[in-house]
Amino acid sequence: MTPLERLTTGLNITVLGMGLVFLLLALLWALLTLLLRLDRQPLRAPAPGAASSPAQARRPVKLAPELLSAIAVAVFTHQAVLRKQAAPAMRSYWPGSILFASRWIAAGRHQQTQSWNPRGR
Amino acid sequence: MSDYLTTLRELRERALMGGGPRRIQQQHERGKLTARERLALLLDDGSFQEFGALATHNITDFGMADQRYPGDGIVTGLGKINGRRVAVFAQDFTVMGGSFSEVQSHKICRIQNLALESGIPLIGLNDSGGARIQEGVRSLAAYGEVFQRNVLASGVVPQISVMLGPCAGGAVYSPALTDFVIMARDTSFMFLTGPEVIKAVTGEEVNAANLGGPLIHNCRSGVAHFLAANEQAAISLTKLLLSYLPQNNTEDPPQVAPYDPADRMEESLNNVVPLSESDPYDMHLVIDAVFDRDSVLEVHSCYAPNAIVAFARLDGHAVGIVANQPAHLAGALDIDASDKISRFIRICDAYSIPLITFVDCPGFLPGVDQEYHGVIRHGAKIIYAYTEATVPKISIVTRKAMGGSYVAMSSKQMRNDLAYAWPTAQIAVMGAEGAVRILYRQELSKAADPAATERKYIQEYRDMFFNPFRAADLGQIDEVIEPRETRPRLIRALEVLRTKVQHNPAKKHGLMPV
Repeated sequence: MTPLERLTTGLNITVLGMGLVFLLLALLWALLTLLLRLDRQPLRAPAPGAASSPAQARRPVKLAPELLSAIAVAVFTHQAVLRKQAAPAMRSYWPGSILFASRWIAAGRHQQTQSWNPRGR
Repeated sequence: MSDYLTTLRELRERALMGGGPRRIQQQHERGKLTARERLALLLDDGSFQEFGALATHNITDFGMADQRYPGDGIVTGLGKINGRRVAVFAQDFTVMGGSFSEVQSHKICRIQNLALESGIPLIGLNDSGGARIQEGVRSLAAYGEVFQRNVLASGVVPQISVMLGPCAGGAVYSPALTDFVIMARDTSFMFLTGPEVIKAVTGEEVNAANLGGPLIHNCRSGVAHFLAANEQAAISLTKLLLSYLPQNNTEDPPQVAPYDPADRMEESLNNVVPLSESDPYDMHLVIDAVFDRDSVLEVHSCYAPNAIVAFARLDGHAVGIVANQPAHLAGALDIDASDKISRFIRICDAYSIPLITFVDCPGFLPGVDQEYHGVIRHGAKIIYAYTEATVPKISIVTRKAMGGSYVAMSSKQMRNDLAYAWPTAQIAVMGAEGAVRILYRQELSKAADPAATERKYIQEYRDMFFNPFRAADLGQIDEVIEPRETRPRLIRALEVLRTKVQHNPAKKHGLMPV
């Protein structure tokens, strides 16, 4: 085999190999594109009167003053109830905080409770 | 395996049904909820873990072998209220009238042990006809076990009893040993001996409501601390009360984010005390103006109304309030007021809740009846409780602070931390008229015009003692403040005193004049 024939064979193998790889890559790309198209949710048509842009969505909704007052009263009442019951949303510190885990207080309370300590308990 | 699961599920289903649909319907017809419905209202959704749901008694006498219900008339377990862990038990009236059995006792004791070991509050929803007679002495011993644990847990974890039905006989001692008793109007009553027994023994005729109804125990006996309109209100009140209490005696109560300005000065306070010293005013107006808006929860509101004890918040922190009420008996202290105040002081001290005292007291209530019933001993309880308490203590004298009541009501000598007085304060050994008649007896007897002379001496006495400046001069009052400054002053003072630690001498226990 002459050197020219060897070079031609090498080039053929390279072209065939690379062509095969690129062909497979192209097929894979097509498959993924197809899957994406199939997987995509169909877009719903916007409801009449609905906001078509974020700016429109932020526009204040016009509520009747009575309804607005009722909502405000309900929110404040709810907050007052939560506050009275020391519900989690209203707490500034978790119960049992011992004032930010003060060692001074923790040690002090430990000593205070030592004077009455029944045996065997 | 499937058979076992089927059996378990059937038993669980039976436990959920309590005494059965008919009994549940009867309970509803009485206007009462079942034990599980009550727990559903009390606890956060999905937080309840039940223990002992399948426990039954092992008694066979009196046909009891046929009357076995899983749970044996009580629902016990652990749950959460506003995210805080609690131990709960609820007696189920639909099962044999909620009668107290040995198994009930075991279940309650188990929960009490868990609460004490875990350092969490214990809440009992009581609705029981009394001891289960068929069990004999077993049920009596069972009571004793519960009482013992009530005492051991006292002052360690908060214990709240909610009375939602009858509670008679020895069973009443368990709620009485707890920190707070809440009674629902119309459905609850408590007594040691019922109307029939009383009629048989003493001949007195009385019905259950007048003997041990919620109004009697809230307003006359002082056994109950709160009166609720109905069961739902009683359960809501329990949640509210819990918000002022810590989980145990080493922790702090929950603190809410401040929502009322700390420097708020209420101008109306400058005019709340009438110019005439004999005119009454409502101390509630002072309390409402000083503490965080809508944060005041009055305890024993109907009992001994000449004194006020309440929980409230200052800048989001829980505090206890003790005050005289000049609008009732001129704010004088009597036996009931002494009991009410001393008990509240000890509760606040046990749970590290600072005490704020508003003083307007002309003295102890005079009277033969008071003396015969031991007002000396009862009044001494206030002194004992204040002196023993190691929590931050601040007093504000708004008007009268006379004689022994001045000393008793959180004076400097009661280990008070800070004593404020309004300019209207009158700190003296006794009233002007009485003092002048003793001090100037001879002068008055020799005077040409005794009435005019007496008026002159009374005015001199008033000018000398009926103000806070002499006491401030002697160091008995730390600062005389404008009434409107009270709120910011208290908040600043508590900010400093919050880390106060004070020790009492080592002893087994003191001998309070109970």
